[in-house]
Amino acid sequence: MLHKDLLHMLCLARDKLRLMQDSPLSVQQVADEVGMSLYHFIRLYKAVFGETPNQYQIRMRLEKAKLLLVASDLSITDVCMEVGYSSLGTFSDLFSRRFGMAPSTYREMFRPAVRVSDEVPRQFIPDCFSLMGGAPNLQSNIREASLI
Amino acid sequence: MKIKLNSIFVDDQSKGLKFYTEVLGFKLSKDIPMGEFRWLTVVSPEGPDDVELVLEPNANPASSVFQDSLFKQGIPITAFEVDDIQAEYERLKGLGVMFTREPMNVGVVTIAILSDTCGNLIQLYEVTA
Repeated sequence: MLHKDLLHMLCLARDKLRLMQDSPLSVQQVADEVGMSLYHFIRLYKAVFGETPNQYQIRMRLEKAKLLLVASDLSITDVCMEVGYSSLGTFSDLFSRRFGMAPSTYREMFRPAVRVSDEVPRQFIPDCFSLMGGAPNLQSNIREASLI
Repeated sequence: MKIKLNSIFVDDQSKGLKFYTEVLGFKLSKDIPMGEFRWLTVVSPEGPDDVELVLEPNANPASSVFQDSLFKQGIPITAFEVDDIQAEYERLKGLGVMFTREPMNVGVVTIAILSDTCGNLIQLYEVTA
């Protein structure tokens, strides 16, 4: 059974894995910080969150990159650095594999919608929210939404 | 007015579908691509088949903050009823599901709480009285 303290520890680890530009931590460092062996940490993390710490870290970095690509003026290289990758090749490859297009293509395709309307574009709004008729106006733009 | 849909936030819809169908045992009802996301619903094989659970993406930052906060506090986001909670607990444990509370009688119901691997805690309950 997962006791409360252990649950808190895993949540703390997940928060640490989410850190990006300042000082991204490796999975080993996060395991050390929460006082678990690497093997035990990965096994437990996957059982609770359904993905390995490494998979979670990649997913979070790429989601953040997507927002930066459409909502900031950073170059692709700066976006890559900002989300914690030092290799543009690795970043582009992971991005393309996950979203089916290169970061530059993604920016070309979705940025105009954000710039023109200054609102969260429809493709970023889960349709269930649209169905419920509310969310698009909750934040005035995608930058504000990402800062909450 | 009828209640036909309830929704639950998931941090990844594919992962959510896998857990809710292959582990919990619900049936896929609708899977309609909608831009970057999907209109994804499951139903209970024990019925009724017209009451659907929407596996809703938590892409909106507000929803992920809400989801995270409940999880950190150990609060289940919703509850599902089962006929035999001990049997269900053993079955799910055998599949590797992590529980934050083993079956515990709290009066008229016995409850257990599990992690759905998508950022939520789910309570199972059996009405015992």
